[in-house]
Amino acid sequence: MRATMPVRLGPAEDSLIAQLKSAGADAAAERITVAGLPTRRVESYHYTDLKSLLRAVPPLAQAANSANPPALDVPGAYLLTILNGAVQPAGAAPAGVIVGKTEGGVLSSRDDTLVGINNGLAREALSLTIENTVDTVIQIDRHIEGEAAHVVDALKIFVADGASVTILETFSGSDAAHVGNHATYLALGKDAVVTHVTLDRSSRKAAHFATNEYRLTDGSKLRTLAIHAGAGLARSQVFPIMGGAGAHADLTGLNLVSDGQHADITMETHHAVPHTSCQPLFKSITRGRSKAVVQGKLVVERDAQKTDAKFMHQGLMLSDEAEILSKPELEIYADDVVCGHGSTCGKLDEDWMFYLTSRGIPQAEAETMLVRGFIAEVLDPIEDEALNEALNGVVDGWLLGGN
Amino acid sequence: MTTPILEIRNLHARIEDREILKGVNLTIPAGQVHAIMGRNGSGKSTLSYVLAGKEDYEVTEGEILLNGESILDMEPAERATAGIFLAFQYPIEIPGVATMTFLKAAMNAQRKARGEGELSTPDFMRAMKEAGSLLNIDSDMLKRPLNVGFSGGEKKRAEIMQMALLKPSLCVLDETDSGLDIDALQVVAKGVNSLRSENRSMLVITHYQRLLNHIVPDVVHVFSDGRIVESGDKDLALQLEARGYADFDGQAA
Repeated sequence: MRATMPVRLGPAEDSLIAQLKSAGADAAAERITVAGLPTRRVESYHYTDLKSLLRAVPPLAQAANSANPPALDVPGAYLLTILNGAVQPAGAAPAGVIVGKTEGGVLSSRDDTLVGINNGLAREALSLTIENTVDTVIQIDRHIEGEAAHVVDALKIFVADGASVTILETFSGSDAAHVGNHATYLALGKDAVVTHVTLDRSSRKAAHFATNEYRLTDGSKLRTLAIHAGAGLARSQVFPIMGGAGAHADLTGLNLVSDGQHADITMETHHAVPHTSCQPLFKSITRGRSKAVVQGKLVVERDAQKTDAKFMHQGLMLSDEAEILSKPELEIYADDVVCGHGSTCGKLDEDWMFYLTSRGIPQAEAETMLVRGFIAEVLDPIEDEALNEALNGVVDGWLLGGN
Repeated sequence: MTTPILEIRNLHARIEDREILKGVNLTIPAGQVHAIMGRNGSGKSTLSYVLAGKEDYEVTEGEILLNGESILDMEPAERATAGIFLAFQYPIEIPGVATMTFLKAAMNAQRKARGEGELSTPDFMRAMKEAGSLLNIDSDMLKRPLNVGFSGGEKKRAEIMQMALLKPSLCVLDETDSGLDIDALQVVAKGVNSLRSENRSMLVITHYQRLLNHIVPDVVHVFSDGRIVESGDKDLALQLEARGYADFDGQAA
């Protein structure tokens, strides 16, 4: 016999419960009241114990006016802005792009606290429809301005059959203890080709949470790249549903963490039908006393024969005090599949360093070359040149930034 | 008397607790090519790594002078810009680093050490083309990541190409003939010979006399148990080939 112990709630949970109740999201409020924020005992939060990492949740954001530039300047991109959770008026959209506004709550409900909070509190969502091939990079810049605020915002994207587009989401804000909870729902039509990049450059004081749900159908091709290079606490959740034969997803990500930071990429891919494939490849680079987490779960349903899915996480430790945590999970109900997982972790190869320095290349420059080489596998496939260059600039800035 | 390019005095070195070099003495005057021959495990490759400054090895005694200056306190990169070049026995494959990027960085490091500005792109391309044509290296090879997917012969040719681009005063060639067929050997030897000059010295490390038919040394040294035990002219290599190393074991230099 085991008595159910009531969960002791902290100030972060009290704020969340009050905010959810006042928004009428009683079920989500109830869930936090009963279970609290997820701790390490919840498998999907095992390495990112929100109860201990998230000590306070500031008040919900007020409307703001800001002329701050976006978190990343990509020449030629079409820029849309969500400021403190509110969708901002947009300029004339490129041909084939329809911009609108819809209700919040864009994510499918699932057993996940961050998803519950987003669906409960997002009042509105930016909606995008991509009708055909769009060569302009579409950039959605989500900004949090002013005093510390809890911002819950949402984005919903439909990409029509046969259409193609590159979408960049950037996240940043003022230097305050913001909590951002961002949702993106992206549905790809038949044979649609989408590149979706998310880049966090929030302040060190901030907590950044993003959940990206993808729906793929027959022949859709998706490439994702989630980069953490900002918030003190960051978690990006990547949830693709492989729902049509021939669908393929290259799911990539990069944790760049320095002293005192904690970054987590959590992926769960659902292979729902036969003949789908995915190639998850994540990289973590740590320095100082920091923590990088990558969790990758592949779920293959009973009908999803011929699934081909290989998860890989590679860690590079530039300091002795950092931790890199890797958790692959396979949940396979079909019997004719090729699924695998791998994980490596190490320092810069000494023989490589010796080879480069023996040619006169100074130690620091040789290190930078090797780190760039390590990252190239996830950055190089970004085809848009201006975007590729801007992302390389972010990485270079991080490398030069020291601890 | 002019300063020799390389002077090694009573050099002792170890890796972990094992002493490998046990009192090496070697002087190479400017313009000369010296060969070191010895059986596997005699410490030949260790000598090349100690010269280049690989940190696994600890020098416990002795001195290495390059153009009269001690290099023992220098990092590998400083030694390289001071004029040492090691052509690796097994050139390292580095995925993710483009060969061109690497070559440009290495050449600019040399220029910076000499107080010169960065190489312009046209000058760089010209230098690449020149060095490449000498060693039958085409631009496709240079577009690949560093040494990745190169055949054994291509790797060795790429090493000599780097040597041509970096213009060292001391070239150390560690078993450059290993893994090469006759044709590839000739290309490599031709490249090396074209770099012989009166203000550059070379140390050619090999098991076999074969390479020395193509790169003819001024002096041949026999290496055994961490020391030079015999020195002579190029005929010493022929003697070794005929009689093996056994005659020289246990001999003092």
